[in-house]
Amino acid sequence: MEKQATKRANPFRRLMAIRGMGQVVTVGAGLLVLCAVFGVINENFVSKANVTNLLRQIAPILLIGIAQSFVLITGNIDLSIGSVVGMSTMIAATLMSRGILGPVPAILVTLLCCLVVGVTNGFLVAQCKLPPFIATLGTMTIARGIAQIVNNNYNTDSIMKFYPESAQTFKDLLYYGKTLGVYNGILIAVVLWVVFNFILSKTRTGRHIYAVGSNIEAARLSGVNITTTTIKAYAISAFCSCVVGLITCATVGQGTMDAGNGYELYAVAASVIGGVSTLGGQGILLGTVIGAAVWGVLQNGLQFAGAPVALRNIVVGVIVVLSVLMDVVVRKGHKKKKA
Amino acid sequence: MAQYVVEMNRISKGFPGVQALDEVDFRASAGEVMALLGENGAGKSTLVKILSGVYIRDSGSIRIFGKEVKGDLTPTTAREAGIAIIHQELNMCPHLTVAENIFLGRERSKGAVLSNREMYAESKAILDKLKIRIDPDTVVGDLAVSKQQMVEIAKALSTDARILIMDEPTSALTSKEIEELFAIIRQLKAEGRSIIYISHRLEELRHIVDQVTIMRDGRFILESAFKDISMENIISNMVGREIKNKFPRVECSPGEMLLEVKNLSAGRMVRDVSFSLRAGEIVGVAGLMGAGRTEMTRALFGVDHKESGEIRLSGKPIAINKPMDAIREGIVLAPEDRKKDGLCTNLSVRENIALPNLDILCDRLSVVNRKKEAAMVEKATANLTIRMPNADVDAASLSGGNQQKVVVAKWLAGNSKVVVFDEPTRGIDVAAKVEIYNLMNQLKQQGIGVLFTSSEMPEVLGIADRVLVMCDGRITGELPIGEATQNKILELATRFENKLEGEREVQQA
Repeated sequence: MEKQATKRANPFRRLMAIRGMGQVVTVGAGLLVLCAVFGVINENFVSKANVTNLLRQIAPILLIGIAQSFVLITGNIDLSIGSVVGMSTMIAATLMSRGILGPVPAILVTLLCCLVVGVTNGFLVAQCKLPPFIATLGTMTIARGIAQIVNNNYNTDSIMKFYPESAQTFKDLLYYGKTLGVYNGILIAVVLWVVFNFILSKTRTGRHIYAVGSNIEAARLSGVNITTTTIKAYAISAFCSCVVGLITCATVGQGTMDAGNGYELYAVAASVIGGVSTLGGQGILLGTVIGAAVWGVLQNGLQFAGAPVALRNIVVGVIVVLSVLMDVVVRKGHKKKKA
Repeated sequence: MAQYVVEMNRISKGFPGVQALDEVDFRASAGEVMALLGENGAGKSTLVKILSGVYIRDSGSIRIFGKEVKGDLTPTTAREAGIAIIHQELNMCPHLTVAENIFLGRERSKGAVLSNREMYAESKAILDKLKIRIDPDTVVGDLAVSKQQMVEIAKALSTDARILIMDEPTSALTSKEIEELFAIIRQLKAEGRSIIYISHRLEELRHIVDQVTIMRDGRFILESAFKDISMENIISNMVGREIKNKFPRVECSPGEMLLEVKNLSAGRMVRDVSFSLRAGEIVGVAGLMGAGRTEMTRALFGVDHKESGEIRLSGKPIAINKPMDAIREGIVLAPEDRKKDGLCTNLSVRENIALPNLDILCDRLSVVNRKKEAAMVEKATANLTIRMPNADVDAASLSGGNQQKVVVAKWLAGNSKVVVFDEPTRGIDVAAKVEIYNLMNQLKQQGIGVLFTSSEMPEVLGIADRVLVMCDGRITGELPIGEATQNKILELATRFENKLEGEREVQQA
């Protein structure tokens, strides 16, 4: 009997039992249905060209979704994501288009600037105890301001102007080129997803991120450093947003000041649709993939079905509310069962 | 050779507005259980929180295993020094598994990767050693409160702590689980560990305690071997005065029939419940944990959905579908979990008292009349002798007993006819309990009908005029106080429909 007792339940059941796997499976099924419906409405939707296109649209949303998921799991929110994307684009593009720095040092400077925003967010929330909504609303406005001011309130010239060769490499590496037959823009998202999924599910930092979001006092009393953990989550968020900004820069070939506008909400949508709880402590990055995919499929599919932009926004909004509602209802049912 | 494993000398700690500790001395020895006793607000929790690194002392010195602690203790350094604490409030991460909670903050890893399997096996070993039957992969939020408490104990022991602090560990446990806990404590004692035990349930002490330290108003009062001190002596030192009558009874003849409940059913835990309550009468509801008492009060107050049943107030049938209906009729509830259900802890005492009475306090434009509000709060707090700096402090900052009084105050400020208390004295000290009893008597004399549930039989016998006993969601008996004895109540409280279902009930509790 003792031997049997030490055997753990099988991994699948454990996975299903933990952290909102149920919603991931449900939404995953919904995603398949959605794809099938759009495929029926317009068969071009499932063409190879469109699927590739779709994946390239989803990639940045996945990255900002990962960004928001890390912060949401700590029980906070990051509203500065979209502005950091814009800031990243504008800083990198300004440095390159004015011939100040080549792509590699420009990337490093941009990363540094974005990380400063992330660390500031974490510091304000964990150390200064500002409500995350207010703190990141502030840094959101500041980062957007920086995006506007770096090039004197103008979009930049082409990044190819001073570095025709290395800037072309930059563009290929981040977006246009292919590796092993897959577009680099997609690959970057996949690689970063693997890295961050590892951090969240397999490392001490990841465990602490869940603990802080689940019960901050219990985490503190267990010796978890709340400030460090929160700062790490916000820094990861800023890092991912920065990468999206760089990819945007590579895609457009110049810096646009309004890049990333509204991305923070897309990021919330991707996370929440994928089962990440806005109350903290719950969610997995597999869900964020599915959430980002639902977002992408809806945008792309509705476009194929001939729906105007405004309608697409409404549909995505409704889906976000529904998925949160589902989470709440499921949790309520769970509680009742326990009582 | 250091005789004491813990020596705290002249420890002081102040919070804004309160001197929580004033030069307190405290010490504990290996292989002994030291009970730390005192009223609510005496500073026991503050003292052990300093020892475990949650709070930082203002002054004084601490020696652990004879070694002077330099600088401040943090939760991590306290743990490294061999100290573990089981907090009064449960401190678990509900989304994480049992094993993840046990190893939180000191996860095992190989390189960067967490060694989940190793942590699972070790958790399993600890739980087995304590004879706690829980799979370490269970998500903590899915466990009953009592099981979570056991996990908390396992977590504390997993650090191989030499000094274990337990702050009210039994308040959420059933008597069987308390027995199990005591067995664990004896085992730990035999292993030479030192245990610091805080409890309000004085009757528990004789089972495990070797030494007692008594505190009062943030000061050290006395230390003694448990066998050298009488229970009366302990109590009088705790409260600083003799409590002559632990259960002050007031006789007054019950008035007219006030509340009649007929065939009330609400879910599995409230089945076909009928009873009545007269004006100026206190009715106690006894029963084991999970007997459905809390559920009954919730159904009566309109929190939970009722399936069937009739409620009459002064002979008139009334419909209660939501709490507002009950409040309008003058039936109010002081719930079991004060912090969760009874108070808005972020609001001030003044705002809490005003909240259910805003219709009285507001003028026609819905503007709160500050003068009326102040007068109401003044009157309510004076009547109940609520101890606080002023009415504008957060309700969260008060001690348990005083919080309970605020809950009652907010209802009494209105015109209530029936006051229902669910476990009114849980987790509060002897003197505060007596004040709550006096409060109930006061209500009774004003012609209010009082219904209260309690897990403590002496309390039911001491204060109620009539006793209802519940088991398994049904009322299994009613006893006039003259006929009620502990044995009779227990007999009725265990009258399960059939044995099997009864056992399941106890398991879930």
